[in-house]
Formats: sequence, C-alpha cells, structure tokens
Amino acid sequence: MRNSGTNMWIAPLLLLICGVLVLYPLVYLVVESLNIGDAQTFPPEEYGLGNYGELFEEPKVILNTLFVACIATVMAVFFGFLQAWILTRTAIPGRARLERLMQLPYYMTPLIGALSWGVLLGPKTGLVNQVWRAIGFNSDLFNIYSPWGIAWVMALFEGTVAFVMISASMKSMDPSLEESSRVLGASKLRTALKITLPMVAPGVLSATIFVFAEMLGSFAAAFVLGIPGRFFVVTTAIWEATLSFPPDYGRAAAMGLSLSGAMVITLAVAKFIMRKGSYATISGKAFRPRPMEIGPIRWLLMAISWGYMIVAVILPLMALTLTSFERFATVIVHQMQFTFANYETALQMGSLAPAFGNSLILGIVVASLGVPTIGVLAWIIYRSRMPGRGAMEFLIMVPQAVPRLVFGLGLLWAWINIPIPIYGTLWLLGIAYFTVFMPLGLRTIAGVVLQVDKSLEECARVCGAAWTYQMRTITLPLLRPGLIAAWLLIFIASVRELGVSVFLMGPNSKVVAPAIVNSWLSSSSELSAAMALMQTVMVFIAVAILFRVARRVGGDVT
Amino acid sequence: MSSTQPRIEVKDLVVKYGDATAVDGIEFAIAPGELVTLLGPSGCGKTTTLRSIAGLETPSSGTIRLNSQTVYSGAERRNVPAEKRGVSMVFQSYAIWPHMTVFENVAYGLRVRKAPQAEVAANVARVLEMVQMQAYADRPSSNLSGGQQQRVAVARAISFSPNVLLFDEPLSNLDAKLRAEMRVELRELQRRLDITSLYVTHDQEEALAISDRVIVMSKGKIEQIGTPEEIYNRPSSLFVADFVGAANMIEGLVTGPGPDGTLLFEGQNGVTLQVEAPPNGRGGSVVALRSSYIHLTPVDGARNAVAGTIHRRMFHGDFVQYVVDWPAGQLIVRRPPTEHYDEGSAVTLSFDPRHCVLL
Repeated sequence: MRNSGTNMWIAPLLLLICGVLVLYPLVYLVVESLNIGDAQTFPPEEYGLGNYGELFEEPKVILNTLFVACIATVMAVFFGFLQAWILTRTAIPGRARLERLMQLPYYMTPLIGALSWGVLLGPKTGLVNQVWRAIGFNSDLFNIYSPWGIAWVMALFEGTVAFVMISASMKSMDPSLEESSRVLGASKLRTALKITLPMVAPGVLSATIFVFAEMLGSFAAAFVLGIPGRFFVVTTAIWEATLSFPPDYGRAAAMGLSLSGAMVITLAVAKFIMRKGSYATISGKAFRPRPMEIGPIRWLLMAISWGYMIVAVILPLMALTLTSFERFATVIVHQMQFTFANYETALQMGSLAPAFGNSLILGIVVASLGVPTIGVLAWIIYRSRMPGRGAMEFLIMVPQAVPRLVFGLGLLWAWINIPIPIYGTLWLLGIAYFTVFMPLGLRTIAGVVLQVDKSLEECARVCGAAWTYQMRTITLPLLRPGLIAAWLLIFIASVRELGVSVFLMGPNSKVVAPAIVNSWLSSSSELSAAMALMQTVMVFIAVAILFRVARRVGGDVT
Repeated sequence: MSSTQPRIEVKDLVVKYGDATAVDGIEFAIAPGELVTLLGPSGCGKTTTLRSIAGLETPSSGTIRLNSQTVYSGAERRNVPAEKRGVSMVFQSYAIWPHMTVFENVAYGLRVRKAPQAEVAANVARVLEMVQMQAYADRPSSNLSGGQQQRVAVARAISFSPNVLLFDEPLSNLDAKLRAEMRVELRELQRRLDITSLYVTHDQEEALAISDRVIVMSKGKIEQIGTPEEIYNRPSSLFVADFVGAANMIEGLVTGPGPDGTLLFEGQNGVTLQVEAPPNGRGGSVVALRSSYIHLTPVDGARNAVAGTIHRRMFHGDFVQYVVDWPAGQLIVRRPPTEHYDEGSAVTLSFDPRHCVLL
C-alpha cells in the first residue's frame, strides 16, 4: 500500500477529521472547566481551578456515586461469575442456548431496565409491591427509587459484561492444567483452590474494575430512579448543573472531566492487571474445559441461570408490555383497563412519531457512513506501516473513556459557540453519534481485520493485483461479515442512545431515548412503556439479524 | 537478454526493522532454471530476503534485480511494487482465499492480467492437472485438507507462467509423510517447467534434497553457498557443519603435516587423526566428522582407526545410531540397520581423512 497514491492523502484526511471530531469538544470541555467568570461567555474572562474546588465542597454526590457503583459492581460480578461458572464449567441442560441468550440483557439498556423495574417495584404502585400488600403485608417489599434500586438495575445490565469477561478467562484456560493437578494426587477442592482460582482471578479482577468504571459513568438508571427522590450521582449532578439557572457549565465540565479522569485511571488499572497477571490468556486459544458432572444439582443450577434471564429480560419486558396496554398504570391489579391508546399516541403525537423516524434515520445514516470510514481507518491502523497509526488508534478510542453524558456536554458547548447553525438539528446529533461510536466500530472491525491472515492480501499483490483490485476482490469480501456486524452494532447503539442526545436534542430533532425519558418525567409511565417497548423491538430485530450473521460466519462478532 | 544472465540478483541487501538488522549485506545470483534454497534457523533473515525479492518488504539498502531489471535499488530510490515484479510466490500459510472456489483461486493471476475467458479456463485446467487437483476445480476452497491447499497454492502460483517462483517454507505445515511426497513433486514440477525458483526452508534435509544449490544463512549473513554435496561434505564453518546434517565436533590442535598431504590433528587423551588440509591452508581447532561417515569395523583406505566401545544403541528404522566411547570422549555414529553391534561390545572406529573437515 505504500505505493498507492490515493492513500497518501486519504489517511491524513481521515486522521484530521477524527482528530477534530474527538478533540474539539474535549478542548471546549477543558477550557470551560477552567472558566470561573461568567459561565455563559466564551472564551472565558477569567481562568481558575475554582470549579474543581467546588466538587469537594459537596462530597455527598461523590459518596453517592461510589456507594451505588460499589454495590452494583459487587452484584454484577457475582451474577457474571455465577453465570460464567455455570455455563462454561457445568453440564446443565441447554447450556449452548443459554450462553447465546446471555447477550440479551446487554441489549435491554439501563433505561429500559429502570423503567420496567419502576413499574415492577415502584412504591405502592409497583406490580410486585401491590401483590406483596395484597398477600397481607402493609409495607412495600422494596422501593426501587433508591440507591439500592439503581444498583440493582445496573447490576442486571452489567452482569452480562462481567459474564463475557469472566467466561472468556475461564474458557481460555487449558483443561490439562487442572487435569495434571488431579493426576498428581490433588483433590477436586484442592485443584479448584490452588489451580483454577488463581487462573481465573485476573479475569475476575479486571472484570470487576471494568464494570466499576462503567458504573461511574452510567446515567440512565440513576436518572430515572434517582431524580424523583433527589438522589444524585455525578452524572445526574452534571445534568442538573446544566439545567440550573443560569446553567453552570463550568461546574458541569469540571465534574465531567474529573469523572473521565477517574474512569481512565480505573480502566488503565484493569488493562494493567489483564496484561500483567493473566496466565490463562497467553495462548489466545479457546479451550472448552470439560464440564463437571454435577448430578441432580444441575437442575438447580439451570434454574439459577434461567433466573437471571427472567429477572434481567423476561420479567421487565412482561411488565412493560402489560403497562403499555393499560389505560392507567396506577390502578390496582384487578381493576386494570386495557387499551391500544398508548401506541396510537406514541405514533401520532406531534413530537413522538418524528422521534422514531429521526432515530431510525440517524441509525441508518451514522452506521452507513461510519462503517466505511472506520473500515478504512481500521485497515490503516492494523495493516499498514503508516507512521502515526498508533496515535490514530488512541485518538479514535478516546471517546470510550469519556462518559457519553460528559461528551455530550462538550459537544453542546463546542457547537453552541461556533457560528454554524447546527445546534438543535439532526446534523449535530449525527456528528455526535459518529464520534462516540467510533470506538465501538473500530473494535468490531479490528476483530475481523486481525483475523484475516495478512498473506491472503500479500498473495493477491504477488499475483499481480494492484491495491484497489486487491481490496475489491480479496480484502472487502473477507471483511464483509465484520462490516455488517459493525453496521448493526452502530445502528443499535444509535437507536438507543441517551447520554449524548439529552444535551443535543432540539425541539425539531427529537430522538427516541430522551423522548421516553421526557414522557416518563411528565409521569406518563404507560406511554413511556409503549415507546420503550417499540424501541426494544427495533433493537431486538437488529440483534436477531446480528446473531444470524454471526452464526453464518461461525464467529462471535459481538 | 542472454540466457546466461541471472534471473535473480541480490547485491549488498540490508533490511532493518528499527534498530534490528534482519538481513545484513547479502549477495547472491540465481541462474535461469535453477532451484536455490535459503536455509537457516528461524530469525536468520531468509524469509525477509525472500519477501524483499517479492516486494513485500522494503529493504534499507542494496540492489535487487529480476530478469536484469532493477526492481529495488536503495541508491536510486527505486522500489517496484509487488504486483509489477512478475514473480510468483507460494506462502507458508498457503493463503488460499476462503471466499473463492479452487478454480477462482487459481484463475486469479490470469484474471488480474485480463486474460480472455477461454485462456483462463484452459490454463487453470492445465495447472490443476499438473498438481492432480482437476477434480476439485468447483469445490469451495474453505474445506480442503492441508495437502490439497498446498497443491492449489502451487497451481495458483504457476498458473500465469511467471518466470520466477518464490517458496516461503511451503511444506512446513504438512505432516512428515506428506512433506516427503510433496518434496518430490515440487522438484519434479520445477524441473518440468524449468522455472527459476528460490525456496526458503529451515529443514536441512529438505534443502539438501530438492536444491541445485543451497545458501546457508545465519544472523542475517550468508555462511556458505554451494551444491548440497559441497554443503554436506565440505562445510566452511562450524555453524554449517552443525546446522546441516549430523556431525561430531572433535576439539584439538594441528600438530604438523601427515602423510599424503594430510595434516596431523591431536585431540584429547592423545588421539591423533589424519585430516585433510583445508584449501585456504589455515588450521583450526575443531574437526567436523559426519556421523554417517564413520565405520565400526576396520575399512581399507580409512586411515584413521581408533578403538572404542558401544555405549548406547538406538534403533531408528532407517539407520541405527550408536553412542561410542572413545579416548577423546563420545562419538555419534550412524550405521545402516543391516549392521548390528551390541551395547558394551568393542569396535574399531575407522574413517577417511577426507571426511575430517578442519574448521
């Protein structure tokens, strides 16, 4: 490729575009966080660290954030570890299917989870709480609008993430390591404690830290379940700061950057542990350890495994479905009235129908532009010898380390302050989505790029094919499944995007997730349920296609 | 271009990766129709040299000429891209494109050159027959066995009649039996097509078996260039003697001239051997002696005869390997399975001065 003239300018151009997209909002964020003068003027009249100092004047928000993150992480890792152990190491019936289904909770999103658990365990009106009272108790079983509720919803969602990471470390362990321990005379228990545990410990530890970092930046559940009780974590406090009058962008930016800093450090620790302590993943080979024969306990384990699926996916969806067909969600169980009115409203109401259309358009356009762009970048980063490709990779992955909400704030501030009338339009949302989904696209496409043996391309060159001919006949056809997967993942992510959208959506550019939140805030849980369910259906259709693509190529693209 | 002009000429080739020097100023030429092997341990720079000739690596300096055309010159800053060099290559991983049929794989080089449909079909059929894969033309290439992939890779490499063919360890992924068969077939094909070939391998047996000439490399430099017999019988360095074939290294000193133009070499514990004087006249401190050139009974004309005792006998099938105690330590001796010596029995180690290579 070094001889291909077209590349000489494509790469720097793409680098420039991505650099501007990623860095421009971040620069604004940094500058604004140092603004201690009038928060509304740019550039600031006065610089200082005052905004950062203020963070510690109110330690409650930080303590809240840590409290929720810790509880949720412990629960999520517990769920993930249990599922990983059951699904990789025991012979429960229907193991393969359950393992595939374990991806579903991830596509449920914390927003949907929070809404549906609000329906299930809301004080007094929650379905479960009503049943609880009906059988004779005179208080609620559980109030979901609490720190524990937020942690519960987040743990169900992050449990899948922990599962994926921990089961990967369990799978990559060579079964002969355990077998040789047994042959040398160690008991099952001794083998588990002395061999198995140390081997999976780094995987569990890095999953713990990773989930914790994600928890720090999570917004939706804390928003839906925390705001009504005035319980704030850092992300919701940022949101609140921008809504106060006058909006305190400086403090919001300082909080956002501090949060990003905390996340970056945490993720770096996770990566370090992963690299340093992971004996198991050295070979990179996937083993299928021989599942343990566990006798009748397998029915119990199967029940536990399905229990997670029921609590994380099936129960919430059922609750949402029920609510979405109700006239009033607040009536007691035996007085329910059923109607299609919520769906009619969702599709007719002036501002809501466009939201679905907008989200669909954004998803399709962002995915369609993102995949070719990121595809070329991935190819340059992982295949060429172009100088600066390490920097390019780093730059593209930066948005991953910044919570969406914080990035949205940066974008808001950045685009308000330039004379192009783009704020409040779909254009800005499109640009924002493209920027924040670059890491997702790059990771997905990199997975396939790295799988394609370099000599397949080199052979084409030696056979006489020029670069373009080789790309068309060899590289692109081989990458196709990965590109399709990346398209679908970006589409899914766009359709359910919340964190960036809450700041950038305008009256004429509504999108689904913030619209759901708005209708929830105006206390119409039936309408929210209908909309949430429609969004979930959109996502699940895309997921179904994704699964099919993944199965056809025989690889795991997600 | 006269036919005696070399097809491949490499001069002062240097390839660096950052601070590491993979190829350190090597030079060789390959005549038309010749099959030359680059032999050496992994990391010696042989594959880098091959890839530089193919145009897949950019050297740091030197010159590469193919068919008298300069395709790389550090001084002239010329670097012809791989697709314009007109060479062909068989990859170690075979690099069979999984999304194409066998036919499409083999036709690729012809289609790139915009050959007419009929010519493509005829050529593909011809080369597939050469590698006995004609029955597989319409199969998807994704579920071929290793040996079949190998054949398709070879067919694809020769389909567009290149005049230089490069092999990057083409047999290293096959099992031993198949490897031995394919070795014969490749050599047969190369002779039949009379195609100039450069072949990279780390397997010394393979290199000796198929080559017209062998280039032994170590640490980015050429150790020796010669016919397989020269390399085996007259290694020019300790490295070559050790890497190619099984040899005993006997340490000692040259003490003076011996009968018939030989030199006297004294090893440990007073063992004195007659060894051939090296052509450059320099005396070394090690004698290399091939295990297969040692007899265990007195032989006429073998002027070195030393008493020894069989320490260990190991039956390998095609040969028997003996570890023999002798005054200067132990010697490894390989004899045909038709001979038999029990462990502990006394023998006479006898060998010719010609086979004692002073290094």
